[in-house]
Amino acid sequence: MSAILKGKKGDQRLFMGNEAIARGALEAGVNVVAGYPGTPSSEIIESLSRVAKDRDIYVEWSVNEKVAAEVAAAGSLAGLRSMCTMKMNGVHVASDFLLHLALTGTRGGMVIVACDDPNAHSSQNEAEMRHFAQMLEIPLLEPGSFQDAKDLIKWAFELSEELRSIVFIRGTTRLSHASGQVVLDELPETERKAAFRHDGFILDQMTGSVISLPIAFKHPQLQEKLQKAAERYEGCPFNSYTGPENPDVLIITSSACTFYSIEAVHMLDLQNRAGILKLTTTWPLPKRLIKKHLQTAGQILVVEEVLPFMEENLKVLAYEIASEIGIKPILGKRDGTLPSHGEMRPDVVAGALAGITGTSVDQRSEEYEKKVNERVFFGAPARDLTFCPGCPHRASLWSIENVLQMDNRQGFVCGDVGCYTMGLSPSNFGTLKTAHSMGSGTGLASGFGKLDRFGMEQPVLSVCGDSTFFHTGIPALVNAVHHGSNMIMVVLDNSGTAMTGFQPHPGIEKNAMGDVAKSIDIAKVCEAIGAKVRVEDPFEVEATQEALFQLLEEEGAKVLVLKQVCALSPEKKWSKKFEMSVDTELCIGEECGCNRLCTRIFRCPGLVWDQESKTARIDSILCTGCGVCASICPANAIRKTPLAANGKEVA
Amino acid sequence: MTPLKHNPYNLVITGVGGQGNVMASRVIGNMLSIHGYRITIGETFGASQRGGSVRSDLRISEEIAFSPQIPKGRAHMIVAMEPAEAIRVLGELGNPDVKVICNMRPIHSVNVICGDFTYPSAEQHKEWLSDLSGQAWFVNTTEAAVKLGNPIFSNIMLIGALAGTGDLPLERDLFETVIARWLSADKVEKNLVAFDKGMSMVKDDKRDG
Amino acid sequence: MQVFGPNELLADVLKKDLCIGCGACTEICPYFKSYKGRTSMLFSCTRQEGRCHAHCPKAEVDLDELSSFMFGKAYEGSPLGSYQSVVISKAGPEMIPGNFQSGGTVSALMTHALMERQIDAAVLTDWKGLIPVPELITEPGDVTRFASSKYVTAPTVSMFNKSKQLGYKRVGIVGTPCQLTAIAKIRTNPLDREDFEDTAGLTVGLFCTWTLDARDLLKYLSARIDVEKIKKLDIPPPPAEVLTVTTVDDEIELPLSEIRPMIPRACSVCPDMTAEWADVSVGGLEGSPGWNTLIIRTQKGAELISKAEASGFLVTDKMPKESFEHLSMAAGNKKARAFRQAMEDGCLNNKDDGHAALRVSPTILKEMNIESGEDNVGDT
Repeated sequence: MSAILKGKKGDQRLFMGNEAIARGALEAGVNVVAGYPGTPSSEIIESLSRVAKDRDIYVEWSVNEKVAAEVAAAGSLAGLRSMCTMKMNGVHVASDFLLHLALTGTRGGMVIVACDDPNAHSSQNEAEMRHFAQMLEIPLLEPGSFQDAKDLIKWAFELSEELRSIVFIRGTTRLSHASGQVVLDELPETERKAAFRHDGFILDQMTGSVISLPIAFKHPQLQEKLQKAAERYEGCPFNSYTGPENPDVLIITSSACTFYSIEAVHMLDLQNRAGILKLTTTWPLPKRLIKKHLQTAGQILVVEEVLPFMEENLKVLAYEIASEIGIKPILGKRDGTLPSHGEMRPDVVAGALAGITGTSVDQRSEEYEKKVNERVFFGAPARDLTFCPGCPHRASLWSIENVLQMDNRQGFVCGDVGCYTMGLSPSNFGTLKTAHSMGSGTGLASGFGKLDRFGMEQPVLSVCGDSTFFHTGIPALVNAVHHGSNMIMVVLDNSGTAMTGFQPHPGIEKNAMGDVAKSIDIAKVCEAIGAKVRVEDPFEVEATQEALFQLLEEEGAKVLVLKQVCALSPEKKWSKKFEMSVDTELCIGEECGCNRLCTRIFRCPGLVWDQESKTARIDSILCTGCGVCASICPANAIRKTPLAANGKEVA
Repeated sequence: MTPLKHNPYNLVITGVGGQGNVMASRVIGNMLSIHGYRITIGETFGASQRGGSVRSDLRISEEIAFSPQIPKGRAHMIVAMEPAEAIRVLGELGNPDVKVICNMRPIHSVNVICGDFTYPSAEQHKEWLSDLSGQAWFVNTTEAAVKLGNPIFSNIMLIGALAGTGDLPLERDLFETVIARWLSADKVEKNLVAFDKGMSMVKDDKRDG
Repeated sequence: MQVFGPNELLADVLKKDLCIGCGACTEICPYFKSYKGRTSMLFSCTRQEGRCHAHCPKAEVDLDELSSFMFGKAYEGSPLGSYQSVVISKAGPEMIPGNFQSGGTVSALMTHALMERQIDAAVLTDWKGLIPVPELITEPGDVTRFASSKYVTAPTVSMFNKSKQLGYKRVGIVGTPCQLTAIAKIRTNPLDREDFEDTAGLTVGLFCTWTLDARDLLKYLSARIDVEKIKKLDIPPPPAEVLTVTTVDDEIELPLSEIRPMIPRACSVCPDMTAEWADVSVGGLEGSPGWNTLIIRTQKGAELISKAEASGFLVTDKMPKESFEHLSMAAGNKKARAFRQAMEDGCLNNKDDGHAALRVSPTILKEMNIESGEDNVGDT
C-alpha cells in the first residue's frame, strides 16, 4: 500500500510536500485528477495514481496542461471534485482555457495546484504562477507548512464549491520537494455521481450551458466571487501570527518563505522584537486582517519568492487604509532589502532582518572561510550535469553533431524541454543552439526552414522528446509539413517522460493508473501528417548517421524517430546488454589518431581516463553496457561482450 | 524524547545523482520521527540521476520545524557518499567542529573525465577532510556493497555508520521498522546486513580506509 | 617541415578557405572528416602536433624539403619541376579501347602496375552525381571504370590513408598536384614516427590548372541539368571559354565566366600545374585528343614506363617542341601567379611565429622576379 494511504486519523507521517498535497486531496474526497509532469509538481499525481484504484478515483497524465485543465474541468462540471496539477510553465499553457473557465465558473470543487521553481533548479526560468491568479481574477492560496499543504486542499475545495470558482494553490520547490511531518485526518467515503446538467436557464451556472458570455453578466459575477473570497480569507484558519503584540518588525510571509522567516528570527534571537504573519491567502488579500497587523507593527518586511507580488498588493492596501493607520514603512524587494530573483534562504532573510534590526548573524572565522574555499577549489572539481551512462540522448546527439559538422553548412539544432536540453552544454557536445518552451524547437525549426528565400542555406533540425511530441510537438510539425518547411524533426523517443521520473504518455501502452492503454505510434502520426519518416535505434550509430545524411538531402519537413529506452527506465536499470572492456594494448589514448575521443569528447561517465596507464577504462559500476562507445573508438580498443539478460537486483 | 546534542541538529547527506541520497535521508528522517523529533528534509532533486551533486539537508529538532536548508556553516554531521562532494558541502556548511563520514569511492565528473579538472588522490582528500572537520571517518562502502551484491547498499551502510557514531539515536530496530514499511522480508534481511556492516566500519575510526 | 596541430590547421587552412578538400587529414583520426567534397573538423583536439597538419598540402609546405626528399636536390622553381624526360603517350594495344579520356595513359599505367603487382592496390576517384568518391581497387580490370575527369576537388588522399589502415603496403595513387603534395608530405614521415612505413608504391600525377568546388558545381549544374545523366565534363582549349558537359542525351556548353567563381581560393596559391611530386605526371596534349603529355620524374616512374611500353600497355613518342614550350609557359605562369598571390595573401615564407602555407627559397622568388618574401613578416 502506498505511503499516502497508510495511517489513520491522528497518525503522524513524514511526507514530502507533494505527498502531503496528494493526501490532502484524498482527505478532501477528490474524484478526478489530471496533470502534466513537471518538476517540482510531478509527485502529486504520481502518489495519487498509485492509490487511484484503492480510492476509486480517476487519475491521468494528460497530453499537456491545457488538456489536463479541461479534463479536470469536466469532472467539476459533472459535479465531482477535481484537481489539476502542473509546474508553473504549465499554467501558461493552460491559461487560454483557464481564462474562459474563470468566467464560466465551476460546479463541483476544482483546485489547480501549480508549483513554482524559484532559482530554476529544474526549469529554464523562474517565472511565477501567482500573477495568473490576479489576471484570471480567481483566489490563490499558498501553504506555508507541510501540514498546511495537506489540510489546505480540503479547505480550498470547500471554498471552490462555495464560490463556484476555480481555486489556485501555489507550491514551490522547497515545499513540494522537501519533507516534513504531517498529522493525518480520515479518508472520507466518496459518493458523488457524475452528471452534466445543461437543460437549465442559460445564465444559471449550475444547470445551463457553460459559456463565458455575456461578459456584461459574467465578468461582474466573477468579480463578486473574488470579493466573497476576500471575505472568506479574513477568517482563514491557515493565516496565523506568532510574535510579540507590538513587533518592531512584522514579517509578512507565505509559502516556504515561512520556514526561512521563522529560522531567521531564531538565528538572530529576535523572538521578542519580530513577529511573523504567515499569510496563506495571498490573493485577494484579507483587508481587515492585514489592517489589524499593520497597525501594531513598527515596520514591515515582506518575505516572498520571487517577485514582489504580495508586497505590491500590500502596498496598494496600505495606501487605501493609510488615513486610518498612518504610513507604515513596508520593506521587501522594491527597495532592495531582498532580491527579486532566485530563492530565499534562511541566511538571506536573516541578513535582511539583521540589517533592519541592527543585529548580526554569526559568521565562520576568516581563517576557516579561506581554507575551505581553497579546498573546494582543488578538492571538489566541478560536476556538470551530463547524460547518464547508457543514455540514448548522448548517442543521438553524438550522431547529430557528427553529421552536422561533416555536412559543414553551419547546420544547427533547436531544442526544447527534456533531459536533452543538456545538449546545450559543452559537456554534451553543445549541439543544441536554442531551448525554449515545450515543442518550441520544432516550431522554430519550422520557421527557420522557410528562410531559404532570404539566403539561409543552413540545415535546420529540431529535437523533441516523445512526451513533448504529444504535448506540443505535433502542431509544430503540422505547421512545418503544411508550409513545406525544410527541416528535420528528430524525435528522441526514450519511451517515457524520463526527466520527471518516467510518467506514461500517449505513446505508452499503459496509463497513469497502470491500466493498459491504447498507445499512439509516433512514426505513424508523422506519416499521416505527411512527413517523410525514418525510424532508427540511436545505439546503431552508423545507421543513425546514414539516415540523417539521407534526410538532409530531402526537401520539406522530415522526421527521424530515434527510439531507445531511457537508461533509467525500470525495465533497463541494473541490466546490461554488453560487458564493456578496454583493450589497453590497442587504446592509443592521447596519441595522434585519438587524443582521448571517448573521455575528452564523448564523455560518458561510465568511461574514465586512467592517469597512470594513459588509457581509457570502463567504470564497471557506472557502465550500463549500451555498447555505443565501442562504435566511436577509432582504435577499436573498446570491446563489447554480449551478456545474457540477467535478473534485476535492487537493494 | 532524548535531548539532541544540538537543537536543531543539522545533518547533511550528500553524493552524486543515482547514489541513493534521497532514500537514505528518508530512512533516517523516518527513524528519528519515531523518536518524536521534528524533522524537515530539504532535497536537491533537479540534478538527481544526471551526474550532478545531490544534497539532502536534515533538520532534526525538538519543538519547532526548521527550514529545508541548513544556514551557511552550520552543519553538525556530513555523511558523504563521495569524497569530492564531502568537500563541496564543507565549503558551504562546514565549520571546525563538524563531523564527517565519507565513502572514499570517487565518482569522476565529466569535467574530470574530459581532463578540464584533476581529481585529488584519496590521501589528499582524507587530509583535507580531517583538517576541515572536528572528526572524520573514512569508509569504503561501495566496495563492501558490491561484495554484498549491489553498489546501492552503500547508502544503507552509511546509515549504519552514522548510527555507529552514536551522535543520533538511530537504533537498529528502528531501522528495521522503517525499511519493513517499504521492503519485503528478504530484502529487509539484506539491508540489515548492510546496516551492521556500516556500523562496524566506524568502529575502526580513521584507520579504516 | 614545421608541424603544428589541429587548431593551427583549423585557423590557417580551414578558416582561411585554403582547404582544397584533398582528404589528407582524414581517415587518420575521428576529428577531421570529409563529406561531399568538403573537409570539416568535428570536435576540438588539443594536440600540439598532428598528422592532420603534417599532411596538409596547404600548411607549411617547404618546397626545398619536398624536393630534396623526392629528388635529392633543392627546389629549383623550374616550370615543370624535376624530371627525367617529357614525352607524349597513349594507351597501348593491350588496353581495350574504352571510356578513357584523352590518351588513356593513366589507365594503362595503373592497369599495368596492378597486373605486374608493382602495387597491391590503387586509389582512384569516382564520382557519384558529381560528388567525388575515392575508391580503393585491387583488380586491374576495374581501373577503366574511373577514367573520366570531372574537374572537381576530391578527398582522394583519404583513401590512401585508409589503405594504410587496411594493411596495404604498396599503393598506387592517381591524383592532382595538391593531392600528390599531400602524399609527398606523408611519405617524409613528418612526425618521425618509429612505426612509419612508406606505402606509396606509385604516384601518378594529373596536370591541373585549377579545379572546382564540388558542392558549388553540383548546385550550379543541378539548377540547369539532371546531374545523374552527366557522363563527362571537359574544358576545350582556348579560345573556347566554355565547360562542356556531356550527358546521356546531349552536350551542353556553359560559359567559363560562370564557372570560374567556383574555383576554390586554395587553387590561387598553388604553384604546381604538372604534379611535381609524382613518379610520373600526365596531362593532355594540345591539339591531339588521342595523346597525353607524360613527364617521367623518378627512377621508379622511368622503370614503370619502359616496362609498360615493352609489354604493350603504353605507346610513347617524342614531344613536339612547340607543345613543350606551351606547357612550360603555362606551368611557369601558374607558378609565378601562385607565389605572387600567396605573398599578397600573407601565407608565403612567414617569419617568426607566422604560419606559412608555402615556403620557397627567396633566391627562386628573386629569379622569378617576385618581390622577396623577406619583408613578409608575421601572419596576417
